[in-house]
Amino acid sequence: MTTTEQPAGPVLEIDDIHLYYGAIHALKGVSLTVNQGEIVTLIGANGAGKSSTLRAINGINRPRDGRIRFQGEDITHRSAHRIVKGGIAQSPEGRRLFPRMSVTENLEMGAFQRTDRANFAEDMERVFELFPRLKERRTQKAGTMSGGEQQMCAIGRALMARPKLLLLDEPSMGLAPIFVERIFETVVEVNKQGTPVLLVEQNALMALDVAGRGYVMETGRIALEGAASELKTNEQVRKTYLGEG
Amino acid sequence: MATATAALHRIRGSSLIDAIGLLILGLVVIWVVVKFAQDPTRFLNVTVLGARNGAIYGLVALGYTLVYGILQLINFAHGDVFALSGLVASTMIISVFGLDTTTGVLLIVIGLVGTLAVTIPLFAVVNATIERIAYKPLRNAPRLAPLITAVGVSFIVQNISLALYGVDFESVPNFIPRTDAVEIGGVGIGWNTIAVFLIVIPVLLVLTWFVRSTRQGKAMRAVAQDREASAMMGIDVNRTISVTFVIAGGLAAVAGLVYLLQFNIRYDTGFQLGLIAFTAAVLGGIGNLTGAVLGALMIGMVEAWNEGLDGTPGGDWTRSMIFGILIATLVFRPQGILGERTPEGA
Ligand SMILES: Nc1ncnc2c1ncn2[C@@H]1O[C@H](COP(=O)(O)OP(=O)(O)OP(=O)(O)O)[C@@H](O)[C@H]1O
Ligand SMILES: [Mg+2]
Repeated sequence: MTTTEQPAGPVLEIDDIHLYYGAIHALKGVSLTVNQGEIVTLIGANGAGKSSTLRAINGINRPRDGRIRFQGEDITHRSAHRIVKGGIAQSPEGRRLFPRMSVTENLEMGAFQRTDRANFAEDMERVFELFPRLKERRTQKAGTMSGGEQQMCAIGRALMARPKLLLLDEPSMGLAPIFVERIFETVVEVNKQGTPVLLVEQNALMALDVAGRGYVMETGRIALEGAASELKTNEQVRKTYLGEG
Repeated sequence: MATATAALHRIRGSSLIDAIGLLILGLVVIWVVVKFAQDPTRFLNVTVLGARNGAIYGLVALGYTLVYGILQLINFAHGDVFALSGLVASTMIISVFGLDTTTGVLLIVIGLVGTLAVTIPLFAVVNATIERIAYKPLRNAPRLAPLITAVGVSFIVQNISLALYGVDFESVPNFIPRTDAVEIGGVGIGWNTIAVFLIVIPVLLVLTWFVRSTRQGKAMRAVAQDREASAMMGIDVNRTISVTFVIAGGLAAVAGLVYLLQFNIRYDTGFQLGLIAFTAAVLGGIGNLTGAVLGALMIGMVEAWNEGLDGTPGGDWTRSMIFGILIATLVFRPQGILGERTPEGA
């Protein structure tokens, strides 16, 4: 038991970022914050700019304007691999596994930037516990696995990084309901152990269930933000994203 | 048994094209067996030479396949870097170490190791510099741009060789005797052939170990498969690409030396040998390291059989045959011998 509270300050602060793909203005001034210990969800229609936001945080695409701060440090112009070394891990949209590497090798790649190899085997075991299917398939080439199996592997790979901030881009994509539930349980579990999570989801209802706060994106902007419970009861959100109308 | 069933399966499930391809392959195999039966000694002697040349081509082919694997770029300049490294090696051997036919074994070894100690780092740096200056700025440009640039760099390197060494062939004295080191039933293996394998085999083993087992090697494989995902794993993509060019340059330097031990070399040697090596890489499955060596050995042997056995079209046709093999590969097995067809077409 610690006597001092864990600092609840911001882990990630995005301040008014603009991102372009050639002439396409994909992010038009996005600002959002993830605090220590939080699960924050980012929802919105297709093409709203959710993945682009995660890619900007990860340093894959560079915003033209605005600031991104991680643990108080400006990472806006940092190269992707240094951002990852700093403790941000992502399970990207479309899984992006290394297709000609085995499941085990993919998980190993997740821990590439870690300098502590000590708990490596333990972490791998934890991922296998989470997704027993992966253990069965550990020697299979990732590219030959089913979509759902690949999704599990992608999430496991991100967990192998022991991140200080976990970015998940549609982790329930293509999974059977039982696995969707398991993924969301995992997210909550990982978060309980102290990792803040920024969760992009199509499955808005479930995302708002596990998240503390949420942001709703529309065509490159944050249209709404607030406590998850409020967003869930918000008329507009219910209409657009929760399939009620 | 299991492989036979698998083969049968493949034949049954294959299309007409595959059937034609298998037929041609079958005819070639029959021809080879017949040739062997006619005169086993001669056939094996010729084959040994083919394997030796193939091993040299393999070193060059690896440079193409490594770079292609990571950048999907045919680095046309690679053959010319190889040729320049061979020319520099000739200077080292003649002017610096002064190796000739009277030199003792110890001094020969020192001379060869000393030459490599200079040319490997030198051409590793040269190759990485080429990447940094000519290809890196075009990383996100359409594929044609770096390809054309590679052709340009090829001419530049060739002209540097021409400026430094002129149009004459360079060669070194036969300080490694060409006489047979071993002879079994009329099949001889020369000292110079053994020297090639003594250099090439350890290099291949180290390369395989490096790519399979080291952190940097794993990073190379990852970047080759998905550059963006690699960055998301914390891999320094630029550095990894540089390392790949460093390794390819080092391999070119080794190839330059072993080539020089067998043949003459001049400024444009890299163009022809580069085409052969590139064909070998495609034949084996571009991007696949084992495939590049396998393809190179096959081409080396085809070349040797064509030039050393009776009843073949003969040396004038060697290049046509090699490109015939390339075309046949592209028609019948586009992914090459060991290449994989992956879902994302990589
Ligand atoms: N590489 C690219 N080149 C050009 N435009 C792009 C690129 N990537 C994304 N875009 C555009 O940027 C906008 C935002 O895309 P993004 O992938 O961030 O949306 P998203 O919210 O993740 O959508 P989805 O729910 O479908 O995954 C879209 O209009 C998309 O077409
Ligand atoms: Mg998306």
